[in-house]
Amino acid sequence: MRTMDGLTSGGREAQAELVLLLDGVARREPAALGELYRRTSAKLFGIALRLLGDSGEAQDVLQESYLQVWRSAAGFDPARASAVTWLAVIARNKAIDRLRQRKPGSSADLAEAEAIADDSPSAFDRASGSDEAARLAACLERLDERARALIRAAFLDGRSYAQLANSEAVPLGTMKSWIRRGLLSLRGCLEA
Amino acid sequence: MTDEDDLLAAEFALGLIEGSEAEVARARVRTDAGFRAAVAAWSQRMAPLLAEVDPVDPPADTWAAIVQRLEPAGDGRDNVVRLERRARRWRAVAAGATALAASLAVALLSFPHGVFERPRERRSPAPLVATIATDKAAPPAIVATWSPATRQLVMVLTGPMPTPPGRVHQLWAIPADGKPRSLGVMPDAPRLRMTLPDAQAELLRSGAQLAVSVEPAGGSTTGLPTGPVIASGQLSDA
Repeated sequence: MRTMDGLTSGGREAQAELVLLLDGVARREPAALGELYRRTSAKLFGIALRLLGDSGEAQDVLQESYLQVWRSAAGFDPARASAVTWLAVIARNKAIDRLRQRKPGSSADLAEAEAIADDSPSAFDRASGSDEAARLAACLERLDERARALIRAAFLDGRSYAQLANSEAVPLGTMKSWIRRGLLSLRGCLEA
Repeated sequence: MTDEDDLLAAEFALGLIEGSEAEVARARVRTDAGFRAAVAAWSQRMAPLLAEVDPVDPPADTWAAIVQRLEPAGDGRDNVVRLERRARRWRAVAAGATALAASLAVALLSFPHGVFERPRERRSPAPLVATIATDKAAPPAIVATWSPATRQLVMVLTGPMPTPPGRVHQLWAIPADGKPRSLGVMPDAPRLRMTLPDAQAELLRSGAQLAVSVEPAGGSTTGLPTGPVIASGQLSDA
């Protein structure tokens, strides 16, 4: 069984097939969704599980992710992001929303934000995903070690400012300024 | 966009802010297209990091649960035919994927009855697919699917295919006789869907070529490609 083992692997043909499958999903073909699920669910589940650390919750997030794909596949634009990136970001955002909902009254509804982000300009050109990954890795490498670790913990483990400040035992304002400085350097490097 | 705004977009995209701060950002996502774009840009900047996350097989019953929650694909009689076709394709997908077999039964049950009737429809030809590339080594510039039953040709742009200024792309079908026939000038859009008349539909059989040429605005006036053919691909069974 073929499954996606990373965002950047799988080859161009596999990527093109995912685009085709998403088009089928946009036409409301359950078969296309089924095949898309077969190829991508292990990756999306891995992302949700890492963020949530709970198999039951990750399973809920996986369900919600593919239901959102079913509803909003027509909004996917291959010129703006690769299919895999689009799917992975949906799963991540659903998982983040879930994480934040664990604390009452703190829903960020990030998944919704992503779903209506259709008319945004292209942030990805059509360069291959591995170029994007290499550039991000190189730019992260240029940050100081602390900023790099904090930004990774936020994105990959879903840690909030408050959680990071707490675990590093620094005031919230200090944490914010460390990360914000890191984010600006990162943006500058990526756009250079 | 100021740095301050872009940083807020980053904080929202990464999920760093919570509670009322996140609510404020969410409201802006809804009302401010520039801010929305900035949030999407940050998501995509960071997304390659997700490649590091190892895949984990989800519990086996997840797919069946998703299928049960799919909204009905539409209503009205017209959909019955399409549902039949979907069901058939679904069976084709599931054949060979035993993990799907059990959930498939559930899926079919959740759609309107009559799925297995209409033997005439069941024999309708299967969809064909072509990947149209600028050269064999390049990634496909267009993925085209042709559904003979609906006479719909769907094309999704998957790679760069720039148009020179003042020129257009024209799509051609080249059947077994080798003579190109125009299918029309391609609008500049990432995704195209055209319903073809019978005469053109006849041309699109397995083995036929789809080709894209560069033509003056309005398309070729000779009935044949006049500019270079920049991409082509063969239709074959999906």
